[in-house]
Amino acid sequence: MVIQILILILVLGIIPLLVGGIPGYLGDNKMLFSLPLRWVGGQFLLWAGFQLICVPLVLQERNFSVVVALYWGFIFALILLVSAMGIRQRARQMSVHLKRGYDSGSEDSLSLLWLPFLGILLYQLIQAVRMTYGDGDDAFYVAVSTITDNAETMYQKLPYTGGGTELDARHGLAPFPIWIAFLARVSGMPAVTVAHVALPVVLISMTYAVFYLLGCRLFPERDGKLPLFLIFTEILVLFGDYSYYTVENFMIARSRQGKAALGSIVIPFILYLLLVLLQRLQEREKIPLSFYLLLLSATITGCLCSTLGALLICMMVGITGAVGAVCYHERRILLPMATCCIPCVCYALLYLIFD
Amino acid sequence: MWSDVVELFREYMGTGLIVIWYLLSLVYLFIKEKRTPFRILFVYVPLILLLLYFNPLFASVVYGVAGSEIYYRILWLLPVTVVIAYTCVQIYGELKGVKKSLWVMAATLLLAASGRFVYDDPYFHEAENLYHVPESVVDICDAIEVPGREVMAVFPIELVQYVRQYSPVVCMPYGREITVERWNHLDELCDAMEAEQIDLALLAPLAKAAGCHFIILRQDKELIGRVEDYHWVWFGGTEDYTIYRDMDIPLEIPESAP
Repeated sequence: MVIQILILILVLGIIPLLVGGIPGYLGDNKMLFSLPLRWVGGQFLLWAGFQLICVPLVLQERNFSVVVALYWGFIFALILLVSAMGIRQRARQMSVHLKRGYDSGSEDSLSLLWLPFLGILLYQLIQAVRMTYGDGDDAFYVAVSTITDNAETMYQKLPYTGGGTELDARHGLAPFPIWIAFLARVSGMPAVTVAHVALPVVLISMTYAVFYLLGCRLFPERDGKLPLFLIFTEILVLFGDYSYYTVENFMIARSRQGKAALGSIVIPFILYLLLVLLQRLQEREKIPLSFYLLLLSATITGCLCSTLGALLICMMVGITGAVGAVCYHERRILLPMATCCIPCVCYALLYLIFD
Repeated sequence: MWSDVVELFREYMGTGLIVIWYLLSLVYLFIKEKRTPFRILFVYVPLILLLLYFNPLFASVVYGVAGSEIYYRILWLLPVTVVIAYTCVQIYGELKGVKKSLWVMAATLLLAASGRFVYDDPYFHEAENLYHVPESVVDICDAIEVPGREVMAVFPIELVQYVRQYSPVVCMPYGREITVERWNHLDELCDAMEAEQIDLALLAPLAKAAGCHFIILRQDKELIGRVEDYHWVWFGGTEDYTIYRDMDIPLEIPESAP
């Protein structure tokens, strides 16, 4: 069990932190020193790669082992890339940015309000391990992960009852359960445990990492408001079960399902990126390539999480991009933003074909 | 269509108080927030999204493509949590002295009282193991699994949604689909299993026809008939369930099995 946990820490923690340096090296190298941004951004790059590798293989009815091998290859390629980029980075530049900081609450770090925030976060993580939520949809999503890890086929067995069936291409377009099967395969932990125990801990933490990033942008003055903002988000999440449909309910109760990751991580992260975009437009700053790389990763990740993700992400990026272009008279952002939505359009078209 | 969308919004609101605080936050930000990026993201875009959500033409297109069940997820694009939390902190920033602390306490209590504690949800309960499935499912599946092949087993309805999350080699004649009323899946075997008194004369032939190697019955169910008459033998059990093996259904272990 200890080795399994260590492998998951490597795959879900250390590797995303390493890979998350790529956008920084590509242009916005202040990002290199924001650990939450590196972690979240790196995970989005990895998720996007998984989606691009997995869906064609699902549609070709290839074995799961092929996905595992190719995805490992992708991960190693990214690690090599980020290592090569890192060597080129001069130590002098690093020290300058270390002093400046970026999306980090360094000056807030002494605020006592961090203690209740961390305490409530720890409580949620303990509850994620200790408590379980009997959701019927797990009979599909978690079973797909378990079957894939065991049977090598992807979306070719009936998850509810067992037995072979034709390829379920519609669900195969959003293969978040296959990613869980990947984690199970590489760690040796049963897929059901990865889905119900390990992932909620990671994904709930990641949600608050995204809220933290948003908070850094909302309260750049570092006057103690950031931890207060995070405490309010925690209260709203903890008391967010006011209906069955809320994203907070999905986040806490069904974190292992792709749609929960869509609502509680992908959409807030895109909100963060759009805030960065609008602030840069406001300041008449150049939009770096790294921004579009992260936005593209986020839109592709939206498709990994849920087939509806394509529509939601296009709506969010499209509306914000259009309003931003009008408000700042900056039509030049429309083309790259539309380009970032192309994967969503492609997956949506595939969905219509297979539905 | 309009009424469906409104009904869905009402269901999404639940008690409605959090959504009211959200709308009030929008009004507050519309009046007080001067920074354009925040106005765009927290006021203009949500308003456009709400207009789209309530637009019958847009709704009919999405209903047609994605189905009516998931239309509410468009509301996930409204940054409810971020906007309310941001507004609370902005108001906090405008206060002075002891009013700051009072505001934090009041806002915390108000938000908590307006929502519902997520762990109070009746579907939440303490996990029995690290698989987060009932221990009975673990014990039963471990007992009936056969190396190198799948087995067919019929379970009481309260266990079906967990079985294949834990074991990919235990197959069932019906699964979770039977528990969702709106899907209208009917199954004679399920009806026989869930009857108040289990009539073996009815259940056994249906289980045989479905190829069930194992039949799992609740211990508190009264049986009508003798299991021996149907070539069932007691195979094992847990605190709440009994496992029978139907000897008429062959269960060969492959030679290649470990």
